[in-house]
Amino acid sequence: MLIPPEALIDGCMRTLIEAVLPDVSSRFARGQLYAVADVLQNLRDRIEPKRAPLEEEARSAGEALARVAAVLGEAGRADLAAAVRDAAAAAPEAPPAERAEALERAVVEAFAQISALPAERAEPARRALAAHLAQQALREVALLKASLLTEISKG
Amino acid sequence: MSGEERRVSGEERRASASLEDRLAAFLAARLGADAVRVLALERSTEGFSQETFRFDVEVACGKQRETKSYVAKREPVAGLLEPYDLEPEFRVLHALSQDPLPSPPTPFFERDPAVLDRPFYVMECLPGEVPVPAPKPDGSGPLDDAERKALAPQVASALARLHAIDWKAAGLGFLGAPGPGRGAAEREVERWAARIRAAALPTPPVLAEAVLWLRENLPACDEITLVHGDFRIGNWLIERAGERSRLTGLLDWEMVHLGDPLEDLAWCSCLLWRASGPNAGCLVPPDELAALYAVASGRTVDAARVAFYEVLALVKMSAIMLTGIRAFRDGRTTDLRMAIFDHQIGFLMAGLAMMRGHFAAIGG
Repeated sequence: MLIPPEALIDGCMRTLIEAVLPDVSSRFARGQLYAVADVLQNLRDRIEPKRAPLEEEARSAGEALARVAAVLGEAGRADLAAAVRDAAAAAPEAPPAERAEALERAVVEAFAQISALPAERAEPARRALAAHLAQQALREVALLKASLLTEISKG
Repeated sequence: MSGEERRVSGEERRASASLEDRLAAFLAARLGADAVRVLALERSTEGFSQETFRFDVEVACGKQRETKSYVAKREPVAGLLEPYDLEPEFRVLHALSQDPLPSPPTPFFERDPAVLDRPFYVMECLPGEVPVPAPKPDGSGPLDDAERKALAPQVASALARLHAIDWKAAGLGFLGAPGPGRGAAEREVERWAARIRAAALPTPPVLAEAVLWLRENLPACDEITLVHGDFRIGNWLIERAGERSRLTGLLDWEMVHLGDPLEDLAWCSCLLWRASGPNAGCLVPPDELAALYAVASGRTVDAARVAFYEVLALVKMSAIMLTGIRAFRDGRTTDLRMAIFDHQIGFLMAGLAMMRGHFAAIGG
């Protein structure tokens, strides 16, 4: 998630109060809407993102980076291999969100590192990173609910 | 335009009397009318970027009374394509107002914040509705078979017409022509890469890889044309009448620029606008749309170039979503539609991973 839960809840509150409430004319519905806002404002300081998906991201990225470092080493690019290993090692152990984010940054850097290799030598490293990205995409999509885009667009 | 638009809401409703009055005063002056009354002002929900208001006006000139329908587009405080500048888009629409292309005649632009708080332009309201590029509950696309059959050649012809516009003669050189060869592709890649950087959010690795790939695979093009930049279902105004359906308008020109014409074809054909189905723009299979466009335009459609711009399309949409997420995260907008991108971007990254072939690495 690119918007921290607290910011997301603050934004929902702001939208409900500033943009939705003035259009709600039923007293009961207004009361319910205030109740939603009350629930949200008391939720914001009690929640944090689930650890398990973040830990899985970090594990997957870490494994991909280790394979990339190995390929770079085998290709005679000890300097690039060390850079990849160092970037992975620099990721903090905790909190999980920060660890996952740091390892994803290292994955981004690894793509740039392997572009320095001839295509055929880069291929195994590229495949390791691609596998990580594919699995990451599947994990993300598995968490998504059916889109309400039509309702959002049509009101 | 769809009838399913909502009334102005919240603060806008409280201020709507003055908004209507201010619009009326503005139009009376521009139309040279004795009096103008603004009626049925509604804010549209379809556009995610600029603020769009539809309204009717009753114009009095001497003893004559006339009713007209207009649409006003206003810069938002914050949004998907910030920083905003409506003027280039207005200048293009104004220049095309007499062209056979079904773009809305757009007579007025105003930058003075004293009029409507922020810059806006006014265009004539065209008939039709805007189908949303999303599947129906039964999984089918937004258009039925007869509509698709009728509309596909019209869409291809409109795109060909758009690309045939003599932009120099039309005074559109101010948009800035890219350099020859790979200049058009390079400029677009860097335009959207810069927006990704400006959002200052963690870049999803699949997105970063796609940008790298684009930079390493820039295609050359030998012809620079006007490029709509957002030519797709959702910006097509359509009169739905089965096999007699008509494309009545091309909307939302805020990403207009000069570049490679195949960029528009790729944007319209890409995964984003297929409503989970197989059809480009929810119309016909991508190859078929490309063939219709090739016939209408007389151009050869280079599949590799289209493939490049289809990857760019998803990168571009990522940049747009990240910009919206940033605006919401910073509290600069109360539009919750910006917040939905925080999870919608997951679908986009999956699409990008598929287009870049990453699933092959896990046997997919």
